Amino acid sequence: MASDFDHESIAELQRKQPAFRGLDAGHMACPGCGQALGARLVTEAIGPDVIIANATGCLEVFTSAWPRSSWRVPWIHSLFENAPAVASGIEAALKVQGRPTKVVALGGDGGTFDIGLQALSGMLERNHNVLYVCFDNEAYMNTGVQRSSSTPHAAMTTTSPRGKQRMGKRHLKKDLLSIIGAHHIPYAATATVAYPSDLRAKVRRGLEIEGAAFVLVHSPCPLGWDHDGALSIEVARLAVQTGLFPLIEMERGTVVSAMHIRSVRPVVDYLKLQGRFRHLFEDAPEAREELQHLQQIANHNLELYALRSDQPEALDSESADTARRGGLRWS
Amino acid sequence: MQTLSRGSFAKAGSSIGFNTGDWRLVRPQHHHSEAPCADACPASENPQGYLAKAAEGDLRSAWEALVSANPMPAITGRVCHHPCETACNRGFYDQAIAIHSVERFLGDRAIAEGWDYPIQPPLPGAPEVAIVGAGPAGLSAAYHLVRHGYRTTVFEAQPEAGGLLRSALPPYRLPRTALDQELERLLATGIIFRPGARIGRDLLLDDLRQNFRAVFIAIGTGRARPWSVDGAEPGEHRSGIGLLQEWISIGALPGYKRVAIVGGGNTAIDLARVLKFNGVGEVHVITFQTLPAAGVSQADAMSAAPREICQAIDEGVTIHDQRGVRRLILRGDTVAGVEMVHMKELERPGGMRELIAFEGTETVLKVDQVIPAVGQEVDAVGFEGLISKSAFFAPDRFGRLTGHAGIFAGGDAARSGGTVSGAIGAGRRAALAIGSYIEGLDLPREDAGPPIGLSSLNLNYFDHAGRAEASIAAPEARSVVTEIEGSLTRDAFDTEVRRCFSCGECMSCDNCWTLCPDNSVLKAQSSGDGKWHYVFDYDHCKGCGICARECPVGFITMIDEP
Amino acid sequence: MIDAIEGSAAVARAVALCRPQVIAAYPITPQTHIVENLAQLIADGKLRCEMVSVESEFSAASVVLGAAASGARAYTASAAQGILLMTEVLYNIAGLRIPLVLTCANRAIGAPVSAWNDQQDSMAMRDAGWIQLYCADNQEAVDTTIQAYRIAERSELPVMVCMDGFTLTHTLEPIDLPTQEQVDSFLPPYRFKRALDPLSPITIGNLVTPEYYSEARYVHHHALLRARAEIAAADQDWARISGRTCGGLVSVDGPEDARVGILSIGSVMGTLYDARDEFPDLGAVKLIKLRSMRPFPAEELQGVCAGLSELIVLERALSPGGGGIVGAEVRAALCEMEPAPRIHNFAAGLGGRDMPLKIYPALLEAAKAPQATRFAILDVDLTKVAEEDR
Repeated sequence: MASDFDHESIAELQRKQPAFRGLDAGHMACPGCGQALGARLVTEAIGPDVIIANATGCLEVFTSAWPRSSWRVPWIHSLFENAPAVASGIEAALKVQGRPTKVVALGGDGGTFDIGLQALSGMLERNHNVLYVCFDNEAYMNTGVQRSSSTPHAAMTTTSPRGKQRMGKRHLKKDLLSIIGAHHIPYAATATVAYPSDLRAKVRRGLEIEGAAFVLVHSPCPLGWDHDGALSIEVARLAVQTGLFPLIEMERGTVVSAMHIRSVRPVVDYLKLQGRFRHLFEDAPEAREELQHLQQIANHNLELYALRSDQPEALDSESADTARRGGLRWS
Repeated sequence: MQTLSRGSFAKAGSSIGFNTGDWRLVRPQHHHSEAPCADACPASENPQGYLAKAAEGDLRSAWEALVSANPMPAITGRVCHHPCETACNRGFYDQAIAIHSVERFLGDRAIAEGWDYPIQPPLPGAPEVAIVGAGPAGLSAAYHLVRHGYRTTVFEAQPEAGGLLRSALPPYRLPRTALDQELERLLATGIIFRPGARIGRDLLLDDLRQNFRAVFIAIGTGRARPWSVDGAEPGEHRSGIGLLQEWISIGALPGYKRVAIVGGGNTAIDLARVLKFNGVGEVHVITFQTLPAAGVSQADAMSAAPREICQAIDEGVTIHDQRGVRRLILRGDTVAGVEMVHMKELERPGGMRELIAFEGTETVLKVDQVIPAVGQEVDAVGFEGLISKSAFFAPDRFGRLTGHAGIFAGGDAARSGGTVSGAIGAGRRAALAIGSYIEGLDLPREDAGPPIGLSSLNLNYFDHAGRAEASIAAPEARSVVTEIEGSLTRDAFDTEVRRCFSCGECMSCDNCWTLCPDNSVLKAQSSGDGKWHYVFDYDHCKGCGICARECPVGFITMIDEP
Repeated sequence: MIDAIEGSAAVARAVALCRPQVIAAYPITPQTHIVENLAQLIADGKLRCEMVSVESEFSAASVVLGAAASGARAYTASAAQGILLMTEVLYNIAGLRIPLVLTCANRAIGAPVSAWNDQQDSMAMRDAGWIQLYCADNQEAVDTTIQAYRIAERSELPVMVCMDGFTLTHTLEPIDLPTQEQVDSFLPPYRFKRALDPLSPITIGNLVTPEYYSEARYVHHHALLRARAEIAAADQDWARISGRTCGGLVSVDGPEDARVGILSIGSVMGTLYDARDEFPDLGAVKLIKLRSMRPFPAEELQGVCAGLSELIVLERALSPGGGGIVGAEVRAALCEMEPAPRIHNFAAGLGGRDMPLKIYPALLEAAKAPQATRFAILDVDLTKVAEEDR
């Protein structure tokens, strides 16, 4: 099939790609890393005119071990808990200098839901013109898979293991979107690497509005969630199709849109692919109860965001990112 | 040794020099798999291939791809039973692609636009090949031989080309205009046509052997197979094929009132419909084969095209399947009825199939004639010594006859499946074998591997959509002389070709390029047609397998790192 | 132009003259007046600057880090608990070699809670990799702030300007505020070679493995040592423009033949000068003002202390369980001297306790003891201490 195209070196091809390679190859992410893919898609959507402030975490570590860097945009990593504050400072500098360059802050769930929540809240309250993107892989992965407040209920991590007295994480996944909503910023959204067109559209929307914007990107972690790297997209897709990770958009605290699910999947379809939930398939009453609990949480989301629909539409979970000959996507 | 920068900053994109490809245990590889439609096509078409070109908007290239295998799509697009649609993976997802209608659209378009076959006439000194029979097998072989540069002469006993296409396919299935236009342009490719030349009467096989480098025998089955019940034959009965041919050529039919046709193939169904159109009150078809349905095996099913069977039933033909004639009920010499009994072919140990009648299931059907349409045989006059005991030629898959170098056979005369597409495929393969024989080379390998199954596709990327249906005249509006099936509109055609999954062949959907976490799938544009392909950056690819998993068409496989 | 203004207001005016583009601050006593004054200047259109009212000191330091890294001159101020809260960021800024100026309004650190002046906060930051300069009075605070920007931007090191909380920040002094022209002629516009810029992108804040970390620390350490020359030059160049000097890295005042010296740091120098005039008959005493705590001017100090037989180090902080902080560093610097003076180390005025003039004779008396005091809290009142805690 490829017999008639010109032979070019890989380096030349890399230069000619019809998409901006903001996060380039050669980084040290695990094979199949959802966060690496998410960051790649996000920087692609933003383009070169940006300054990024990145919190400590997997993304920072695997992209910036000196002397190597995978970032082709100006990028600064300071500390774990201050990416939103650093971004606020960059934004203030650009504002006073009258430069239109975008400012984006990147962080994992650890740096966003937990240790960086204060700085994020301050940045949102002051409505800095910054887009904050959180790559949610649902635990402190960089330090070895410890639980964060974003870890889902009943998931196993090294600090919420299965034991005689415990069935994984006791607490629920923190409802960060409600906290973001309470700041009444112009735009907030959830997205996932399984629907890249939707993700890119939301990133662009967040950039074009004046003021603070927040996008939460669900990013499977093959290592921490214990699944084959090849399944990262499948796992992310099922999270949406079960209702466990709703894809919504919020403006000033009000949900304005949700991606409908044309055929809802039971949560077991999602959970059974991941070793971090394998204990829920034991033949034990506590396992069955936790399975039920997770299904009820999914049901709750389905109702809360009115996610069910069997009417086909271009942006439901079946049609979004439909493959088209020639690669035409809707974003 | 590198010196530390001020504040330990790093250069943008400097990681590109770090070859994470060293981490790999498996690597992705592009791998074309045969689509099930291509695997199922007896004429070795690759519908996936030409559907792709049609989906890109290039109808001419689509037709040219199509005719690289089958030179008469305007014909097969009307009469083929299209096993491609049965095999189509999309059929297990929502509905099979209407390849039948797509092929017809392309064939008709080529005729309307006057597109020439993309082949050169053979050079004056090229080797010469003789073909006996201008039916689909012979014409296909002739076309492919011309394609490969050989001078080809087709000898035909009848005054016109076409074989059974002309003599046994009713005009409501295959209009004369379509047939004539397609054959005329086919013969205009440089084939020398000698009608009215019958082997054994006008010239001898030996003459051909001496004057040509090779001979391809595609004489079809000129004789109806004899039929009797317990040795008794109905008086004044005609064979189904004979009646059909006579009606097609002169338009006359005996004045039956109630008729039973024995047989389950296209001849039986075609004749049944012709009789019904011509006012015969009751037309029954009796066959030990089974009406096609889900779960019915190919070995058991009626050999007529399912489409035709449905249309026949709509038109009022009654089909008694899994039945046979146990006894003729005669009044003197005339038929008064038949006793039918349930019959089926059952498999016996050793793989043979045996026709069993089931006692206690007898019924009587009152008819005034019984017409056998139980198959045809070769009329082997002039070919003695070549034909086997079974009364058919027995070549290998490529038409070669053991012990007779330079003589080849194919089509119905060699039991190529009894279908037009089967005959076309036999002709194509024989042309390849003849070419190899003349050049003294081995046969080219045509091993495409197993077709790709539904489980190798990623169906998450396909939205459900029903198939386009060509217009079809309502049963009460049908006539025996006008075509029953219509064509797709251009819009319906464009939509339908885009429904093709592109099984096993890249459709440049960009999934792999979009979803690689390591930016290791690169898009490359070919300088010729500007189309996009993908290249793996093996310096950086970590072998995670996302691209293979998320490829909608199963074009990427993961193999062990060499 | 001479004006009697509060120390905080004077520093605010000095900062404004340096044309900062981004200011971030979180309020904490006794820094608040500096930031409030700057806010008023901005509100009145006298200063074109983006002020970010952050939600904690951690973010204040982070905001100015981001701003300075993006090519904008930035400023922040804090004290005590706030300085400690931003500790991680201060180390980060210095390690990244980002030029910044921060005013530390020196205040005691809890527990126990105290709002009053000592120097425990800035002393706790001496290992963060910043330049630390101490101001003896509000005029020095103004002049040092202006010099600090030039020092920071030339050496690519952040500068902490330390001024005693309340004692300096909240007292009025006659201040000679320089003109904008004077400052502009001394301090060019901010140019950061490693600024974040899409036109020439770089990656800042990388992970450095053991293979290179020692080299990073070496470079940083030597950059601070080399900054001594910048500090001295800035003081001299500013003196040519303003007519005033702050005393470079370390300065000495007193008779050439004095054999007793008192070294201190910050506003207590003023008390010592007044006390020496008040008690003229206690002998010749050199008063040594240490201005630069980091880089620590070891050679310069050796020169200034040559010939002394007794050296009293008086400071307003301590390392509990260890002893004096400045005292330990002075000892380390002078131990190579042959002969080295006897060193007596005292802490006083902790938690804002008033330092009366009579500490001067007390110190001189203590220096006569047969055994030099390794370390003592001079003004502790043991009657206030429970028996078992003595």
